[in-house]
Amino acid sequence: MDLERELRQALTRKSPPRGFDEKVLGRIASGEKVALPKPPARWTGYALPVAASLAIVAGGSFYFWQHERQRQMDAEQTARNVVLALQITSAKVSAVQMKVQEISRYERQAQY
Amino acid sequence: MSQMLTAAASPDVPVPSEDDVLAQARAGVPEAFAALVREHQAMVFGLAYHFLQSWSQAEELAQDVFLVLHQNLARIESARHLVLWLRRVTSNRCIDWVRSPRNRREVSMEIVHEPAAAARLQDPMLDALLRRLVAELPPHPRIVVTLRFQEDLDLAEIATIVDMPLNTVKSHLRRSLEVLRRKLADRGHVHGS
Repeated sequence: MDLERELRQALTRKSPPRGFDEKVLGRIASGEKVALPKPPARWTGYALPVAASLAIVAGGSFYFWQHERQRQMDAEQTARNVVLALQITSAKVSAVQMKVQEISRYERQAQY
Repeated sequence: MSQMLTAAASPDVPVPSEDDVLAQARAGVPEAFAALVREHQAMVFGLAYHFLQSWSQAEELAQDVFLVLHQNLARIESARHLVLWLRRVTSNRCIDWVRSPRNRREVSMEIVHEPAAAARLQDPMLDALLRRLVAELPPHPRIVVTLRFQEDLDLAEIATIVDMPLNTVKSHLRRSLEVLRRKLADRGHVHGS
């Protein structure tokens, strides 16, 4: 079967019902007006792709912004943890140093 | 009777060209306008009918197109322009029609009642099936297919009429034919490539 040939045969022009022209003239004579259909606005064809592109750009930007913000927060938290760890270490070292000094002082006093 | 009709009836007077008829219609001769309607009604009604698959809706839409034509006759420059204008307005109106919520699709038995075309060596069931399958296509592909196969237009002409890029028209036609081939195959109709 040749589809295009079949379509040409199926979609031939069709005569309207009898009296069609008289009905048209009758409606004209009655003063009826019909608005000219507006051709489809060109922008409507681009609206969807443009909207989709904007959504992708906005979504991508938000994702990267959020990702960057999270990374920054993690880095700040890590820095705080390091500072805290250094403070703890420093305190421990100071305590140990004091103990060592105290022991040294007692030893010196014991020698005399 | 108008000059045009007199001329058409008399063998001695040359038949006026369509441009002459158009000029008379623009001048307000009702018979000339009626002649234009009769000349183009099968094209306009056929496009509307194949698009809507409803006699009553197609008739209403086709009448509307000719009313719009009557209101805009002054804009029509030639008989050739008239044909292009009618195809364009009919196509736009068909698409507007199916988009409008007030024009609910009539799925009726009208298809069955259509007057039989002249006897042909053609399967009427296949014709009806093809028309129904075409009517199931989305509006833009449907009007492209209808213009292509009813009016035998090339793709560039269709692109001008429906105000679409040529590649979009090509794409609509290619996909529509694929869909039609698949649906026909599903129904057991074997087809060539």
